Amino acid sequence: MRPLFFSVRTRLTLWHAAVLTLIVCAFSAGIFLFVRVRLFADLDAQLSREILAIDRVYREEPGELRDLAGDWGLTLFQVSERSQLLIATDAWQREGLAHAPRIDGSPLSWIAPGGGRYRVQERSAPAYSVTAAIDESPTRRTLGVLAIILAVGVPLAVALAIAGGHFLAGRVLRPVGAIAEKARRLTAESLGERLPVENPRDEFGRLATVINDALSRVQDSFDRLRRFTADASHELRTPLTVMRSVGEVAVQRSLEPACRNAVGRMLEQVDRLTRLVDSLLMLTRADSGRIRASRETLDLGSLAAEAVDELRVLADEKRQTIVHHAPVPVHALGDAVLLRQALTNLLHNAIKYTPAGGTIRVEMAVSGSGEATIDVRDDGPGIAAVHQQRIFERFYRVDPGRSRESGGVGLGLAIARWAVEANGGRIELASEEGKGSSFRVVLPAAPRTS
Amino acid sequence: MRILVIEDDPEVADALREGLEAEHIDVAVARTGEEGFYLANSATYDLVLLDLMLPGRNGIDVLATLRKRGIQTPVFILTAKDAIEDRVLGLDQGADDYLIKPFAFPELLARIRVLLRRGRAEQILAFRHEDVEMDLVSHKASRGGRLLDLTAKEFDMLEYMLRHWDRVVSREMLARDVWHAAARATPLDNVIDVTIARLRRKIDDPFEAKLLHTVRGVGFLLGRKLA
Repeated sequence: MRPLFFSVRTRLTLWHAAVLTLIVCAFSAGIFLFVRVRLFADLDAQLSREILAIDRVYREEPGELRDLAGDWGLTLFQVSERSQLLIATDAWQREGLAHAPRIDGSPLSWIAPGGGRYRVQERSAPAYSVTAAIDESPTRRTLGVLAIILAVGVPLAVALAIAGGHFLAGRVLRPVGAIAEKARRLTAESLGERLPVENPRDEFGRLATVINDALSRVQDSFDRLRRFTADASHELRTPLTVMRSVGEVAVQRSLEPACRNAVGRMLEQVDRLTRLVDSLLMLTRADSGRIRASRETLDLGSLAAEAVDELRVLADEKRQTIVHHAPVPVHALGDAVLLRQALTNLLHNAIKYTPAGGTIRVEMAVSGSGEATIDVRDDGPGIAAVHQQRIFERFYRVDPGRSRESGGVGLGLAIARWAVEANGGRIELASEEGKGSSFRVVLPAAPRTS
Repeated sequence: MRILVIEDDPEVADALREGLEAEHIDVAVARTGEEGFYLANSATYDLVLLDLMLPGRNGIDVLATLRKRGIQTPVFILTAKDAIEDRVLGLDQGADDYLIKPFAFPELLARIRVLLRRGRAEQILAFRHEDVEMDLVSHKASRGGRLLDLTAKEFDMLEYMLRHWDRVVSREMLARDVWHAAARATPLDNVIDVTIARLRRKIDDPFEAKLLHTVRGVGFLLGRKLA
């Protein structure tokens, strides 16, 4: 069985309700007992007073004992002389109180055979004894009503406590929810944002402050990493400049073909390093949000046509066919330069990995959900599932041996993805080994303006 | 021709001096902004090559002061700073052109030539080098009297290379001037290589004398120089 899971809010509410129930129950029991003791004490005091009155009447005017019931409302008593019953009221005899147990001095409760409940007390002198009783059912009724009030009131109080506790716990925990929501939306690009601190001295303020401090440290190390990449790229340019200038001059002055070839090969590597440094610097600037994509309405069809025209010569060399299919005009909001670079990189990738004689399709569409899509599809070897997740990573190569000779630096798809995402879009990859790959650029479509 | 190089890095300065002297240009080198300003102010140069990041007085400051003094020598900015603001600032202060390090030397030479030619613009309508002919008005090119069937890009490329006859043309130059690309990218490099190969098939393959050469690691050359 799965262990039960309760949220902090539920647990807080339950604890709160449990503690309150305990307190209310103890309090109710205390009140009930106190009232009961008080009521019986009053009853007993009244009984004592009645006995004293009967006793005095018996000693002073024994003849008037019979009138006590009428004059004083004393209807339940008997007087005996040396265990000889002298007088007993009618009610006394009717209720059978003569059989009630009695202890001299202290009152007792007794249930009459008829069901009535009585408090009975006897006062004994050497020559006589006075026994009186008092009906205790009104007292018991009062206690019954009190018990009902408490029995209904306690669950009501507990229910209110649960509701109130739930509400209060919700209120108290709301800042935690806000902090979690804010923290969930943090990405490497939005590390500059901070959680709101309402009161830095309360618990939630301290929590937010601690998280903010941690974020600052994370941001700091990110910044240092970016700065390092930027600085390193920058510093690499000076020696590259020197190598390039010296090499290029040497190539043109040298008459020895072997030497020219050697320097030329070095220059090719200098060139590759230069492009790598440029790409790194570009991606670093992109990461730190220093490249802002402009937002203008673009005709994706003509954008794709430009990219296709530029690269068509590469496909021709491999006897590949590029089919550019744009049945409807597709417009999107975005940055022309960045998106063109993304399309060019995707197309170049397709040409590179599609065997000679293959077909590459570039198709545009507007989806029902108002998104513009550009598909770059090839019938090449496809991409194995293990590589699909990582193919957009920087410097990731599916086949480390193969693409090194083609001179790329392994950043084409990473740059393409960044460029599309900077325009608020995404790239989706669908590929099956042996059946080709399809890269889909999805962009928010622009409202069509004519 | 005399060029003043204001560059603090001795290696870069030496490489520039060596490369320019190979083109028979007199070179003076200043290592600081102060020294550069003094030299530019006191002697006459045809051109100043100015690094922007200099110790002491920075390049922008040197440039602004020179222009304020009425010295109109063309100034060419060389900078490792690639931030657009710096370039704009430099051009605003009266620089004539700029290149970002690391630059291709043939490109630097080509641009220096353009700067020095400025003012006496020549309207070229036709080229003739060796047996290659190009008429920009009728948009026709031929070699040895045989008409060349060129695509638009191949034609533009041939025209560009005829303008730079016997000089090395780098991929950057072709990307910027023929393809009008803002930045270099691997796909475009491949396109340039393929276009060169196709142009070579048309202009060189049927002929004995080869004219279009690849200068490994540098670029391409149309002419007789390497033959």
